[in-house]
Amino acid sequence: MPVLEVIGLTKRFGGLAAVEDLAFNIQTGELLSIIGPNGAGKTTLFNLLTGFYSPTSGKIIFNGIDITGYKPHRIIRSGMSRTFQLTSVFQRSTVLDNVIIGQMSHARVGLIGSIFGIPAAGREKKKVIERAKEILSFVGLEDKRDKIAAGLTEEARKRLSIASALATEPKLLLLDEPAAGINLEETSGIIDLIDRIRKTGVTICLIEHKMKMVMSISDRIIVLSYGKNIAEGTPEEVANNQEVIKAYLGVRDAAQS
Amino acid sequence: MKMPLFTKATAWLPALILAIVIPPMAGGYLVSMLILICIWTIMCFSLNIIYGYTGQLSLGQAAFFGIGAYAFGLLTVKVNMGFWPAFFASVFIAGLSGFLIGIPALKLRGPYFILVTLGFSVIVGVVLVAWVDLTGGANGLAGMPRPSPVPLPWGGRLTFDSLLPMYYFTLFFLVLIMVFSHRLINSLIGRRFIAISYNEDLTESLGIDTMSTKILSFTISAIMAGIAGVLYASYNVVISPEMAYFARGMDVVAYLVVGGAGTMAGPILGTLVLMAVPELLQVIPSLKTMINGIILMLFLIFLPSGISGGFKALKGRIIRSRTSPYAGS
Repeated sequence: MPVLEVIGLTKRFGGLAAVEDLAFNIQTGELLSIIGPNGAGKTTLFNLLTGFYSPTSGKIIFNGIDITGYKPHRIIRSGMSRTFQLTSVFQRSTVLDNVIIGQMSHARVGLIGSIFGIPAAGREKKKVIERAKEILSFVGLEDKRDKIAAGLTEEARKRLSIASALATEPKLLLLDEPAAGINLEETSGIIDLIDRIRKTGVTICLIEHKMKMVMSISDRIIVLSYGKNIAEGTPEEVANNQEVIKAYLGVRDAAQS
Repeated sequence: MKMPLFTKATAWLPALILAIVIPPMAGGYLVSMLILICIWTIMCFSLNIIYGYTGQLSLGQAAFFGIGAYAFGLLTVKVNMGFWPAFFASVFIAGLSGFLIGIPALKLRGPYFILVTLGFSVIVGVVLVAWVDLTGGANGLAGMPRPSPVPLPWGGRLTFDSLLPMYYFTLFFLVLIMVFSHRLINSLIGRRFIAISYNEDLTESLGIDTMSTKILSFTISAIMAGIAGVLYASYNVVISPEMAYFARGMDVVAYLVVGGAGTMAGPILGTLVLMAVPELLQVIPSLKTMINGIILMLFLIFLPSGISGGFKALKGRIIRSRTSPYAGS
């Protein structure tokens, strides 16, 4: 059963179609990667799926519910979460506080209860903090819990942004270039983390430029070029697809061949 | 993560004791100044919620102050309502107008939101002048009551006709609003406010309804401004449209920025400094705004985190130089 179905999705900015008539689905439990040259519309697609952009036309069905036009927080609460390409964390907050904020969408907080400190609000707060600590241990940041996020390395911030996204308890996790700007050794650490997230039953959709990583961990790959789906299949199928080679390397000049 | 009623009571308690003990020894003029300082500090706390913690700069707080004050004036003078019913009704009206303005205004971000709040403030000022039948126009309203007397446990009644009881009355509300602010900011709701001020998109992407959270913050800030307006109307007995002019809203911004936005001490320090300096210099009233402006500019250039931000940085530096052998390198 597909966790996500995208039907005829189009987004135009003025006359330019960033995403055009896109259709695909993501099966529960799989790892689907979306690749394509810069400007192919990958991040736009994530923004559409999570409600940051509203589509010009088309439908997005998540868990059997049509979520087209929902606001981001509603989509995220229904179980789809994302990270941002430019690693986005609350720079001035501690690592723990970052994850607590992600946990909060599940906490029931009333204004009156918070102000007068009724026991239920206190218990809720405690629960949120405990869960946040668990998630930090899961991504391997337990020793940096009280550090200010701005002081972390790029790799640690990537782990933190994934931790915050996990804190919303997603069924489907969208990762936008989780390995950009980090070295090889750190990349294998992130791959290991993604593997462990999959084992907890979370479906993953990945945007990534590091081809070795994409080829090694993906079940299926979709290739976008100029907002269109030009190829789809297993890593081997995609790697040998002529359309894909053309999109990445350009068309060979007719006169030379 | 325990959250006692007063954290850092060591610092706040002496300040509160001073605020209680000094005024009886001071002259009437100083007490009347202190009443105004309390009222404008409440205004600063109001702006602190929406700007200091939630990161949405509102230049329109004076409008809610004016709405609270005029609602109180109209309800007591024209409808003959008692003090407390009128108090709560006026604060409710101020909060409701914040809620209603917030719905469209908070859809906008950054400078656009600021401009809408500024425009709203100007409109309220114009309406107060132009709707002569209701508001008395430029002459304003007069004859608002002081708080109704409180029966004392040992017999007799506490009346608020003189300055000193009125001062304690406003001080009581200031302390109430400070405790409320402190508890709010340290709650999970307060964390949401702060998260929005850091990064609105990221907050939304973590499943938090940023729009409703911002509206809540703006409504709370309007309620606080409304309380300040009612206190002012009751204290001053006369109200006129000038108090709702957007320039008063700018003053509040200056107080908060100079004191330190997003801190608990900032509203008090900023209001004290910016209201006391022109007073001590004995300048003519029209120069006050200019002095405020100059001080604000100096702070924005040299100490954008305000007085309390400066203290924190200084404290951090001292601690670091004590503990780290590499300090100053």
